[in-house]
Amino acid sequence: MHLPDGIVPATVCAAGFATAGLATWYSLRRIGRQEDPQAQVPKASLFTAVFFVASLVHVPVPPVSVHLILNGLLGVVLGWYAFPAILVGLFFQAVMFGHGGLTTLGVNATMLGVPALLAALLFRSRGLPGLEARGGRKLTGLLAFLGGSLGVGLTALILAVLLFTTVPASLDATAERAAIAALVLAHVPLALVEGVFTALVVLFLLRVDPGLLENHRGPPGREPGEPRELAKTG
Amino acid sequence: MKTSRTARGTAEARLGRAVARLAGFVAGVVGALLLLPSGAAAHGVVLDHRPVEGVEVRAAFDTGEVMDEAQVSVFAPEDASEPWETGTTDERGRYLFVPDASRPGTWTVQVRQAGHGSIVNVTVEEDAGVTGADGFSGGGYGALQIGLMAAAGVWGFVGTALFFMRKK
Repeated sequence: MHLPDGIVPATVCAAGFATAGLATWYSLRRIGRQEDPQAQVPKASLFTAVFFVASLVHVPVPPVSVHLILNGLLGVVLGWYAFPAILVGLFFQAVMFGHGGLTTLGVNATMLGVPALLAALLFRSRGLPGLEARGGRKLTGLLAFLGGSLGVGLTALILAVLLFTTVPASLDATAERAAIAALVLAHVPLALVEGVFTALVVLFLLRVDPGLLENHRGPPGREPGEPRELAKTG
Repeated sequence: MKTSRTARGTAEARLGRAVARLAGFVAGVVGALLLLPSGAAAHGVVLDHRPVEGVEVRAAFDTGEVMDEAQVSVFAPEDASEPWETGTTDERGRYLFVPDASRPGTWTVQVRQAGHGSIVNVTVEEDAGVTGADGFSGGGYGALQIGLMAAAGVWGFVGTALFFMRKK
């Protein structure tokens, strides 16, 4: 799921860095608007560690094997912190394990980070007035599941579009497209697995320390002066 | 008398017809041989062989799973745009090719499949032929190395978390 160096043309790499830069800037700006931007850093750092090692966990989906991505989980749990967390995690994966590459860091960050932010948006909808009244563990679990699946599903879709449109002329396009289709299909079960995993993590956090999820009650970039839940618990 | 002459006459006529048919058949065969494409007329096959110095590329995912049916592009030195040779890896993830010894330099082999792939460089020297290790280097990291790197990375993140958790 991580594009290595030399697979996509240089223009795609450049565009990837541009979008990743933009998304990082916007995320940091939203984080900076919070009353205490550092309050969420420990949680973000721990989930970055989870994301960093998750790519080593391979899930066999015959005939291929895919690895955990967990970008949906990061989006659901971290909100705006998800994009910087994914960027940092991807950097260390590329440098240490050779997963992905430095020239494709921007493309990979966009491919994983933007779906994570959309998953965050989806999960945040549990705080909407109408839903909140009926909400509860079930709704929270369902939204977490959807968010976790959405992260993987959307990432696989972006990857497929990127690869389909950039198959070099020197390759056998039919064989390459068949291989791409097989890879993307293999991510359907993975999306379900990650959805369930995300739901379990969120329900666990809800039970042991709901404060850890509270930053999603309001918009991720809360207005200054709003009560800050995490400072008390942390 | 009359009958025997008649009989001789018919025998000569038959012989004449037979000769005419034979001539026609031979003419037909020769004509057919001339009309056929020259290559198809040859029946002999000449096989020859000579040992050459080639390169074996082995492709596998870092999980150890072989990368079969992956597309291989071989690039000659100083021509990174047009592949010199293309092909696919066999069911054991291997690909064999013989670089053109008259083009010394760094040959580049790219193996890719569905967005996964890597590049390996092969040095070809003018007189020495292909240079490099005799066996496969094994590539990648061992489980212990990966475990240690993962642990070091995780400890870095945990340390960051602890740093920001310390209470003012």
